[in-house]
Amino acid sequence: MKTLENPRVGVFVCECGGNISDVVDVKRVVKAASEWENVVVARHYTYMCSKPGVELIRQSIKKRGLNRVVIACCTPKMHRKMFERNVEEEGVNLAFLEVVNIREQCSWVHHEDPEGATLKAIDLIKGAVKKVEKATPLYPGKMPVKQAVLVIGGGIAGITAALRVAETGIKVYLVEKEPTIGGHMAKYAKVFPTLDCAQCILTPKMGEVAENTNIELLTLAEVVSVEGVPGDFKVKIKLKPRGVDVEKCVGCGACNRVCPVETVSDFDEGLGKRKAIYIPFPQAVPSAYVIDFNSCTKCGKCVEKCPRKAINLDDTEKEIEINVGAIIVATGFKLFDLSEYGEYKYGIHPNVITALQMERLMNVTGPTSGAIVRPSDGGEVKKIGYVLCAGSRDTNKGKPYCSRVCCLYAIKQALMMKEFMEGLDIWIHYIDLRAAGRRYEEFYKNAQIEGVKFVRGKVSEIIPDGDQLIVRAEDTTLGRPIENRYDLVVLCPPIVPSPEITKLAEILKIPLDEDGFVLEKHPKLDPVSTKREGIFACGVILGPKDIQTSVSEAEGAAAKAINFLIQKEKIIEPNKAYLATPEECDACGECIEVCPTEAISIASDKVEINEILCNGCGACIPACPKEALDLKGLSDEQLMAEIEGVLTGSESEIKILAFVENEIAYTALDLTGVARLSYPSSIRVIPVPSTSRLKLKHILYAFAKGADGIMFLEAPEHEGPFGKAHAIAEERIENYRFDIEDYDIDSVRIWFSKVYVPDWRKLVKVFETFDRMIKDEGPIDQETRENLLKKLEEESE
Amino acid sequence: MSSTKPLIKINEETSDFASEIIERGAKIFPKEELKRLLTCIQCGTCYGSCPSGRITAYHVRMIMRKAQLGLKEEVLRDENLWNCTTCYTCQERCPREVETTDIIRLIRNMAFEAGYVKKPHLIVSRNFIQTGHSIPLRDEDKEKRKRVGVSEIPPTTLTFPEALKEVQTLVEATGFKEKVLKLLEEG
Repeated sequence: MKTLENPRVGVFVCECGGNISDVVDVKRVVKAASEWENVVVARHYTYMCSKPGVELIRQSIKKRGLNRVVIACCTPKMHRKMFERNVEEEGVNLAFLEVVNIREQCSWVHHEDPEGATLKAIDLIKGAVKKVEKATPLYPGKMPVKQAVLVIGGGIAGITAALRVAETGIKVYLVEKEPTIGGHMAKYAKVFPTLDCAQCILTPKMGEVAENTNIELLTLAEVVSVEGVPGDFKVKIKLKPRGVDVEKCVGCGACNRVCPVETVSDFDEGLGKRKAIYIPFPQAVPSAYVIDFNSCTKCGKCVEKCPRKAINLDDTEKEIEINVGAIIVATGFKLFDLSEYGEYKYGIHPNVITALQMERLMNVTGPTSGAIVRPSDGGEVKKIGYVLCAGSRDTNKGKPYCSRVCCLYAIKQALMMKEFMEGLDIWIHYIDLRAAGRRYEEFYKNAQIEGVKFVRGKVSEIIPDGDQLIVRAEDTTLGRPIENRYDLVVLCPPIVPSPEITKLAEILKIPLDEDGFVLEKHPKLDPVSTKREGIFACGVILGPKDIQTSVSEAEGAAAKAINFLIQKEKIIEPNKAYLATPEECDACGECIEVCPTEAISIASDKVEINEILCNGCGACIPACPKEALDLKGLSDEQLMAEIEGVLTGSESEIKILAFVENEIAYTALDLTGVARLSYPSSIRVIPVPSTSRLKLKHILYAFAKGADGIMFLEAPEHEGPFGKAHAIAEERIENYRFDIEDYDIDSVRIWFSKVYVPDWRKLVKVFETFDRMIKDEGPIDQETRENLLKKLEEESE
Repeated sequence: MSSTKPLIKINEETSDFASEIIERGAKIFPKEELKRLLTCIQCGTCYGSCPSGRITAYHVRMIMRKAQLGLKEEVLRDENLWNCTTCYTCQERCPREVETTDIIRLIRNMAFEAGYVKKPHLIVSRNFIQTGHSIPLRDEDKEKRKRVGVSEIPPTTLTFPEALKEVQTLVEATGFKEKVLKLLEEG
């Protein structure tokens, strides 16, 4: 480590092969920089990012004893990490490196104003020099990552993810709310488009789960709380009483035979009956009976009969706590309740059923052993009608989206029945037949060949006629109304997220989308990560999809979780808020209110900031009435120095400071450069994690030091990296707008904009407008500035 | 155009017309190919390609759909059926390889049997029965033939009366002659 007392700064200006130097006079920039205090070296070079460029920097550090490095080049998003690595190798801590963007923010956007671009470059570099002089070293932290994964949901997605993670030797807890794993797939007869027997391909996987010693299976289980941080989650799980000892039960069924209680079978979608002590299906995992305590009368007959003494009627709920590094959410779906739709007569006429009920009806293990009969009278079924989009693609009473699998499962069911029921007439009513997927269109065509009839036009009404049903629709291909008479009508309702997710999402602190599905980190490029680090998702909880896609996602989520765990130690970025003057803190809790990640708590009589939870947004810092908090990497002192530097480097006429949120808004700003748009060179950017980090004193200081206008470009709350900090920013800046009037600064000199990346072109308009406004207002007179500075000095004393 | 009411009551007013067409056509064409009628997805490539459809009310896509739905009477009675020029463009382009033009021809056969046929078609049929030619050889045609250097009278039934005999045997044996004459009589 170089000595820090005396800053020795090197300024390196990149020409970017003319991309910068064709507009910015780099010689003049270097000359200006070389005259500043503490600047030992100032150089320009064709490509600073090239090997010789980097070598120039490294040699200068070595030979001239530099302990601070400022590189003026392209956007730091491009090469900052590479420069960081190189200067660190020369013993310069990453906090002592500043990368100034004079390409996207100067040469590329002020190509018609070389003088303005040059002056602005000088200002920006001076800001960085001043800032880096005040820096203190930063050391990324490390934290061990718990080598265990929690998978929530034991359907095919959860099963696949659990198996894949467990394969690597990592411990998996698989939590399932039902008495068995298997999920919806266990209820299906066959799967499309291969017409494989669903159980035949699913149950071996379930068996693998049972046998895998790395998987701890928790059925009848529910996650009740999650504490801790990504890499180290502490999870409480409630286990409902099963009434049967899984270890002792051999599944002989003696209990079931003597049980006098009969109740509706939920596994058979309400179409069949089962006993109060039951096994959902023969291949259930765990392979053990379970007592439905809601219907059990505790008569004790089963206890007497059980040869293994496995039954305990007084079984109680338990709670356990586990510790995991990552979580995979795979809670699946349910079908939307169609009783709102009077026109479909669901729940009114027994022969109107859902597709899931049909799955049970046609399943040889189902309530009728696979016989398709009319639920109303057990009568023969000669003609069946399918109603696709029964609530999907319907913003009126249903769901706006396509449920994606209904077209295919309707065809599957039709094809299966065609095979084993000679002469059966099947009609499928659809809006659009969506068979996008490998071998799906061929599957559809095959059904047509087999004589399944398709009618384009959504069913408008179902009219009961005795045991039969008349279905009304339009044949839109002919533009004529059509009427069909069926013995059985099968509705295909929307697929909606499993209801448990609402509470679970709150527990996990992950956002859901407008339809209640888990929101992906990025819908295209990070589709199985949630918005929260260390929490992943797969299957239908991310949106309706088929088994194949669910399995692919499960493999993806497992890989993500394994990747997350494999680092063993997680790097904790050093740019965090911290209690700088603990003696000032009186635990008032103002900072706790604004923290978007709940990183702050009160320990004895002071606040404590959890370094792992803190995301470094800086929103808490201005909230502290005692100014006890500060931000590592961008302290109040550094900010003041940078503001002063940016405003005093050159003698340009009008100066506008723009505090720019460093992810979304900064990226949008870079895009204006990439597109070579042009805006006034008066705009000088200081990147901040969020503009909520700024105090009133920073703004006043900027006005005192030469700013004529100040802009705040902030990310939107839902798109930005810091959630509610972005909203707090807007609130704060609006208050500052009033506050500055008390210091004789007109409120029009403050501008706040929310910036969305796709709207980057609009930034030019925003800059032009504000620049014109400030030019109309004119510069702030010297006297006002001096008075302001005096007041600030008084206040700080 | 049809004066039928718009509502289609399946089964009560429809039959398995598609299968009937397929079974009938299977005497001439491979059945597997004809079965593609069932796979029509009403994309409209046929009607979009149809030169006749642009200037007449002949709508090949709708005929395929009505055949699928079993609106037999409506299809057979549709006069526009006879506006197909059998150019085969639709059949060439059909993405599901439906034998559209062949099916139209099969439907025409069925329509004819049911007595739905247009007068001009009956007249050319009578010509054929009488002369072995659907279009009579006129004097100007003979002139043209002479000009291009071929025999004035073509080497057909006009030259070979024994061939005409064979044609006449066939039209009688198949019942074609009787049917045409009867329909002409009925007007």
